[in-house]
Amino acid sequence: MTEESDSPMTDTDSTTTGPLVPEDITADSPFTLPGFFAALAEGRLVAARCTECDTHLLPPRPACYGCGSRAVTLSEQPRTGEVISYTSVNRPPSAFDHLAPITVAVVELDSSARLTGRVDASLEDVTIGDRVELQVRDPETVDIDPDFGLSYEEEWPIHVFELI
Amino acid sequence: MSTAHLIAVGSSPLGKTDLPGRDLFSKALAEAFEGLPDPADVVDGLYVGAQSERYENQIMQGTLMAEWAGLRNVPAERVEACAAAGALALKNAVRDVRAGVHDAVLACGVEKMTAGGTEGATNALGAAFERALEQRSGITAPATYALLARRYLHETDATERDLAKIAVKNHQNAVANPRAMFQQAVDIETAMDAPDVAPPLKLYDCAPVTDGAAAVVVANDEVAADLQSRPDTVRVAGVGSAANNLAVAERDLTFVEGANVAASTAYEDAGVDAADIDVAEVHDAFTVCEALLAEAAEFAPKGRGIETVEDPEDRSAGWTDVQINTSGGLKARGHPIGATGLLQAVEAYEQLTGRAGERQVADADTALLINEGGVADAHTVAHVLTAQ
Ligand SMILES: [Zn+2]
Repeated sequence: MTEESDSPMTDTDSTTTGPLVPEDITADSPFTLPGFFAALAEGRLVAARCTECDTHLLPPRPACYGCGSRAVTLSEQPRTGEVISYTSVNRPPSAFDHLAPITVAVVELDSSARLTGRVDASLEDVTIGDRVELQVRDPETVDIDPDFGLSYEEEWPIHVFELI
Repeated sequence: MSTAHLIAVGSSPLGKTDLPGRDLFSKALAEAFEGLPDPADVVDGLYVGAQSERYENQIMQGTLMAEWAGLRNVPAERVEACAAAGALALKNAVRDVRAGVHDAVLACGVEKMTAGGTEGATNALGAAFERALEQRSGITAPATYALLARRYLHETDATERDLAKIAVKNHQNAVANPRAMFQQAVDIETAMDAPDVAPPLKLYDCAPVTDGAAAVVVANDEVAADLQSRPDTVRVAGVGSAANNLAVAERDLTFVEGANVAASTAYEDAGVDAADIDVAEVHDAFTVCEALLAEAAEFAPKGRGIETVEDPEDRSAGWTDVQINTSGGLKARGHPIGATGLLQAVEAYEQLTGRAGERQVADADTALLINEGGVADAHTVAHVLTAQ
């Protein structure tokens, strides 16, 4: 995997698959959170994909919870998908107070990968099956209490879905 | 392998109390050891379930609770799996007794949740969710369970009213439980008219923030036989546990697979089937959980878990005659996070020894406990208890 770390966004037959070796686990690799968020800041959402059972793992990790295999590879994800479930956080953690109520959803991307995120819409405007697109925002513009973030999270972008 | 017996149980008052965690523990311990020798003469190890140090700025509860019980230089460990911590303490105690590592072990749990108000509890509980994508999206415990509930209502015939009926049933059960935080009935219209917390979940769909502690003694055959003042012990016949994904997004939202694995493992360990279970305490942190767990425990056909509120003769084909959450459940008995799994054991002990008073289920001789931590079955511990 080491050679792929400069261009880890491909998911082709030539991409080496795991098991990862210790040298693969660096802050440049999307197999770690710093690498995952660095790619996201550049607009690329990267999952791991299990080459044994095709489960998508978001964020990427070294082993597949679906089948136990470590034969995982990086796979750039589509930014569009649909709402699987949704709700509104009426009393969020204090760092998010001023954003309340927060609409959140579980979204299944067109690749089948799933992730939770805020939806930039009011609860009444969202329903199961709605098409959404992932957007990436600078943490400062989201205006979350800076004390919420851990030191290593400060540069990590915040993701949000928009209805399309 | 030795048999593990539950020989004594105790709990503190449940609710918003003026007592800190260690004193709540003292209350539970005092009840459990009423009529017994000193703890130091009975147990030689301790496990304590405690969710978060944020409530009282205190970790090392293993050492602290051992001191308060008069135990010295024995293994005494805090265990943590969010709200499954209590059952995890029980599981470890049972494992040690079965393996012959200890003759008797104290399993306890404690949480002083009201110390930082609702905001403190929300922030402390928030740590149980996946950090990178889910916490940073502002989710809370009610919101994660609302994501399960919304999908459950979408995929089944169940309605918000069906979920509310689960809360009404559990409040009704709690009326007959002197240990309960809310020993009072609630009618369906009150539950339906209550404010939204995280739609479709409303106030009465959510278990309360609760201070409380519980303590139980797990012992081998010899110790159980020695303590003849309590001849009516119950046997811990089966144990199972399983971890599922941490992130809610990566789960099956309408089937709590980890809970199914944990319950099935406990059934197999005990040599029983779902149909043998007379009473069950399952983790109704939110009403939808009781429906999901009725299905995961194989009491109910898929999608019909909401019939937990019906009398057995009125349930669909495929349902067992189990009575669920006779204590009032987390919703009405109360949910002091680290103690909840042991409060479930307290109820099973009372049901299986005929001490459950007006809520006694006739001929109850086999019980299932399901305690969960994180979102739903992020971590599940299940126990099967049987009357001697
Ligand atoms: Zn796989």
